[in-house]
Amino acid sequence: MPEILPEFSNSVKLKYVKLGYQYLVNHFLTLLLIPIIAALSLEILRSGPDEIINILKSLHFDLIQVLCSSFFIVFIATVYFMSKPRTIYLVDYACFKPPINCRVPFSTFMEHSRLINKSNPKSVEFQMRILERSGLGEQTCLPPAIHYIPPNPTMEAAREEAQLVIFSAMDSLFKKTGIKPKDIDILIVNCSLFSPTPSLSAMVINKYKMRSNVRSFNLSGMGCSAGVISIDLARDLLQVHPNSYALVVSTEIITPNYYTGNQRSMLLPNCLFRMGCAAMLLSNRRGESRRAKYRLLHVVRTHKGADDKAYRCVFEEEDPQGNVGISLQKDLMVIAGEALKSNITTMGPLVLPASEQLLFLFTLIGRKIFNPKWKPYIPDFKQAFEHFCIHAGGRAVIDELQKNLELSGEHVEASRMTLHRFGNTSSSSLWYEMSYIEAKGRMKKGDRVWQIAFGSGFKCNSAVWKCNRTIKTPTDGPWADCIDSYPVFIPEIVKL
Amino acid sequence: MVSVGEENLIYGIKLSSVGPARVTSPDVVHEPTSMDLAMKLHYLRGVYYYRSQAVQGLTIKKIKETMFTWLNRYYMANGRFRRSESGRPFVKCNDCGTRMIEAQCVKTLDQWLEMMEDRHSLHKLLVSDQVLGPEIAFSPLVLIQLTWFKCGGMSVGLSWAHVLGDAFSASDYINMWGQVLAGHDPNPVPDFANSPKQVEKSINPAPAAIDPLSVKRVDPVGDHWIYPNNYRLETFSFHITGKQLTQLQSKVSGQNHTDQVPSFESLCAIIWKCMAQNSEGSEPKTVTLCKNNPHGLKDKILSNNQTISVVKAEMSIVGAKLKELAALLVDQAITENNHIEEAVERDGGLSDFIVYGSNLTFVNWEEATFYGLEIKGQEPILVNYTIDGIGDNGVVLVLPGPKNSGETGSEERIVTVILPENRLLQLKSELKRECMFA
Repeated sequence: MPEILPEFSNSVKLKYVKLGYQYLVNHFLTLLLIPIIAALSLEILRSGPDEIINILKSLHFDLIQVLCSSFFIVFIATVYFMSKPRTIYLVDYACFKPPINCRVPFSTFMEHSRLINKSNPKSVEFQMRILERSGLGEQTCLPPAIHYIPPNPTMEAAREEAQLVIFSAMDSLFKKTGIKPKDIDILIVNCSLFSPTPSLSAMVINKYKMRSNVRSFNLSGMGCSAGVISIDLARDLLQVHPNSYALVVSTEIITPNYYTGNQRSMLLPNCLFRMGCAAMLLSNRRGESRRAKYRLLHVVRTHKGADDKAYRCVFEEEDPQGNVGISLQKDLMVIAGEALKSNITTMGPLVLPASEQLLFLFTLIGRKIFNPKWKPYIPDFKQAFEHFCIHAGGRAVIDELQKNLELSGEHVEASRMTLHRFGNTSSSSLWYEMSYIEAKGRMKKGDRVWQIAFGSGFKCNSAVWKCNRTIKTPTDGPWADCIDSYPVFIPEIVKL
Repeated sequence: MVSVGEENLIYGIKLSSVGPARVTSPDVVHEPTSMDLAMKLHYLRGVYYYRSQAVQGLTIKKIKETMFTWLNRYYMANGRFRRSESGRPFVKCNDCGTRMIEAQCVKTLDQWLEMMEDRHSLHKLLVSDQVLGPEIAFSPLVLIQLTWFKCGGMSVGLSWAHVLGDAFSASDYINMWGQVLAGHDPNPVPDFANSPKQVEKSINPAPAAIDPLSVKRVDPVGDHWIYPNNYRLETFSFHITGKQLTQLQSKVSGQNHTDQVPSFESLCAIIWKCMAQNSEGSEPKTVTLCKNNPHGLKDKILSNNQTISVVKAEMSIVGAKLKELAALLVDQAITENNHIEEAVERDGGLSDFIVYGSNLTFVNWEEATFYGLEIKGQEPILVNYTIDGIGDNGVVLVLPGPKNSGETGSEERIVTVILPENRLLQLKSELKRECMFA
């Protein structure tokens, strides 16, 4: 017993020291200003009103001097306000909730696999093992075309899936925000693996009869991190076009991408990717500052494509039998870790409080000058953010990030539960996770959210949002009917 | 057994699965009763025919949506069989689902029904003939085939493993889908908390007793649950109008209206005698009767609840009067349900039995609510059911006929006979002689 107590009291002491240090450094300016103001006020009170008036009279203000000074002040103020980047608001967003008839329980997936892959029991066995350890639940959904034995991936079926998911999410968004399609000035749709002509953005414009001068963009091939890329693009466009609404749609169309071969490195996406879509309404209008849910603070994009290994780690190609699939290399997690490190190196100075940055600086200098053996200091990002949305790419990704960023179970709960309920919905998963946090009633005004997404390339993109108003638990949305049963315990291996 | 030329009638076959919309709690199982296990080698194959007016505008999307809602109630029919440590089969309710088959037919509904009059084997094209096994863990218990005819009409083919329940349960099951299609939602939330979890039954080896007469213990079939027939079985079906039925009853019971033999036993007596006529010395002396038990098990949604009784005749069937035979059927039937359950439990449910066809079996489905599956308020114009996996002594099924037969107040019957080929031909000619059908 006694051995534990000193350790405990040591760690408690350390905790308080750390807290004191953080408070001191983060509020340095305030702490400096208070004594100065105190001294000044004391001085003023001591001097008395007559003396103050005397001092003012002795300054001999000239009319021209006054005019020039005020003109100067107005000029500086104008330049400041003009050059400040516009605030980008996320007015609201909507996630697609799959219909009940798209549900695929594990047992159905496995039975279909066995029937489709009769000649390759080893592939089926492998898929079963992936599914058992995947962290997915029994309610994830696949599009109707993939329910057939064998799947029926025609272009028409892919378009139907796109229409189902995108129009559902958009209808929901229009209803929530009261915006009409004709009000949309910028439209960005991102879908990595399905890129028909005319594009999906053209499909949206056609369905909703948008204006002829709408600025539409269609991003394809950019992987699971394309959602953040679309937000970044919307932000840049909203800097240039005043008083506009930008609609961003992030989705992944599963129908054309069911892998029908046997390469192990290509079987993973079949087991993990599921239907999903999210539609976001961004704006730079002042009028939206009241009702907007979030403000966009930062977007940091990191691309490791210059490195050959990173470039090839998620690669779409044909297998020896001619089946097209996306192959994932074994060093995926290592590359993801490195991409994350790059990203947070840029992100750190933008978001971390001064205390963390100083510590990091000191440790860095210390390692360089004094002793290279010092452990590198991992800044505590939990001080910069209240909520984390880690792309639900798979259990391994979430585990890895939880370890690297030293996050608690509650921080990654949104990611894990989204993976369980919806599977890997690619670029829209970040929004399902946000929705989870809101549905749990945890999103308060002033909370900062960090969305991290990884994607082929290899890219690590992150977005930082600040909650604009405390969000009441929504009565609609993808989690409305099941949020009460979450969080669930997800066993390491599910027995099928 | 599809003959040449029949393969091209059905095309565009697409397989998929439908299952319950709600997640069944893990570890929920369904334990078949002894009666269920006695019936496990039998399969019901029913086909419901609808005119195009009933199914106009009914898309496959709407069908699947309603099915997912409907199957919430029948989660046990969507599981898969496993064997417990003792080898006794049970159903793991893992939401694997019901197999769905979509198909198109080159003929119109009327053309098809006309063709069916001569070739009953066409029935097999509209309903799946899959059985449980050889891998029971991956075999669906229920398969539904939807076939669209050239004219827009549709047939619904229900393939049902008898181990889940009898025809009355199957009928209730599929009729509920009609209810959900119509927009009703009579789904009580399944109470998973009270669902039986795995329970090991202890085996009490009873002293070697005699098996009941109505069942036959067959050689072990392992995990491929179908009885291997020694003869090729053929099916033959004919309608009996209400008027004909009354005439037949009079023929059997005499003109005295006070103690009329019920219609079912009258039909059985006539057919029994016809069967005996041409059997050349090996008359069927023992017959099995299967009837609905109106006092159903209230807490079970699906069950094998038929009363199975056996009738043993001492005298010669050929020489007997119809009235005598009918009296035998009505009065001397010995119920064997308990005896069957004992026989099954003797080795813990591991043996394999057949009930239908172990003797000449007469099945009374007159009260079955086959015509209760309404689509858009319309009843099917015809419902046909057969049983697969029956024994070589054959089966006679008495089904209700379509209601819109034009005659008010009386009800039509459909009699389906499944027998080995040669005996069926003989029976057909004999029945024709008796003017049972035109």
